[in-house]
Amino acid sequence: MRKFFKNKKLLTIFVIVILVLSMLSISVRLRNKRQSPFLVQKIGNDTVSIVTRVVNWPINLVSNGVANVEDLFNAQAENDHLKKQIDNLAQTKARNSSLEAENTQLKQALKLKKTLTDYTIINGSVISRAADTWSDLLIIDQGSRAGVKKNMPVMSGKGVIGRIVEVNSTTSKVELITTTDKSTNKFAVEADAANGKKVHGVISVGENNQLAFTQVVDGQKLKKGTRVYTSGMGGLSPKGLLVGTVKKTTRDTFGLSDVVEIQPAGNLNDPSVVSVIKRKVEE
Amino acid sequence: MAILRRWYVAIALFMALILDGVLAYNLQTFIFHRSFSGSCWLTVVGITLIALCDDKNDANIWLCLGLGIIADLYYLGIIGIYTVAFPLICFFIEKSARFLPEVFWFRLLICLVTYLCVSVYVFLMLNLTGLIQLSFASFTHSILPNLLWCLILAICTYWFWVKLAEDYPFLKKEYYF
Repeated sequence: MRKFFKNKKLLTIFVIVILVLSMLSISVRLRNKRQSPFLVQKIGNDTVSIVTRVVNWPINLVSNGVANVEDLFNAQAENDHLKKQIDNLAQTKARNSSLEAENTQLKQALKLKKTLTDYTIINGSVISRAADTWSDLLIIDQGSRAGVKKNMPVMSGKGVIGRIVEVNSTTSKVELITTTDKSTNKFAVEADAANGKKVHGVISVGENNQLAFTQVVDGQKLKKGTRVYTSGMGGLSPKGLLVGTVKKTTRDTFGLSDVVEIQPAGNLNDPSVVSVIKRKVEE
Repeated sequence: MAILRRWYVAIALFMALILDGVLAYNLQTFIFHRSFSGSCWLTVVGITLIALCDDKNDANIWLCLGLGIIADLYYLGIIGIYTVAFPLICFFIEKSARFLPEVFWFRLLICLVTYLCVSVYVFLMLNLTGLIQLSFASFTHSILPNLLWCLILAICTYWFWVKLAEDYPFLKKEYYF
């Protein structure tokens, strides 16, 4: 021990390792606990995001051009498909508006002001993402100025893709739903079982990075293809956001509860435009 | 313009840092494939080559520290991953550069080894802090894609970094003062 304390190089390395580890744990704790980062960090992140947008502009121009050409080739097939859909649309629209009116009347009769299904949308674009392969973090161009707050759910494509973990003035960080971070807030979800009852659980990531509907009691009653929605429980997400569809049901390693594998509905592979969901009912 | 010249390396590395995120986003369908996923670190390639070509410049280490802080806060929202990795690789490469042959193939090999070391460090630290909880097996799946991306980035940008480090070394007294 005395030898160790006499060796200055070894002692310095030891102190540096301790400092790095404490710096890491403190900053992770701060990121998880604080509603918004420190002012210096906010200013820094917003400044870097301006440069990112400038760099992104010509790259987007090229990639959008390629996408436009691709769209042009698919235009005929898409047109035929949409023509078939358009006949049903008018009927669906009329039915939707009458149901909406009925819903409003019923809410008024029950003196309900805001329910768990009420939410507003803040649209944004992805400008960057963490370059390493493990931390599933995206950076979007909407921040606190647009009304984005920590823990708001984010959607892209048909379903939920993640949650806001850090909010700056003009940018925010989105942690994807496929993250293996155990400290992150889980999505409380529900699905309709074959017997008509609601099955509740939470979304987590299982083996092979597969999205799973866990802490389920009656998972066997969920048929393949059943839609899984957010339940609105937990106070962070509104009710009724599509998360995915049931793919397969298995038992967990202890044989105590069911693990339901989910096929994500959101566009997790290439999200470019996202919608941040602002729940109307406060926590 | 003359004042700006001494900052060329810093500007280039900062742009590389931005490009890391932009490329990772624009090429995400190729880079982040479920079973074949790698990391896109142009900055790591840049730092390695600059440290190899301009090995007697201590200012590079401080520049890497600054870049590391920016990378940590902008991409991860925490401090201690790139803040440590960037200056550390710069320091070790600068110290060992005098013993290494100055040929393209050997420098490429150093880039690959550094890229792998950074990925091991980032993986371990993210696991240690609980930001990810992945087995070592999932890390082994990323080794080959990481080496492939490093090879592509290093070959594409080699001459740029070497020319930059040799002609415009970062804040080097003998050159500018």
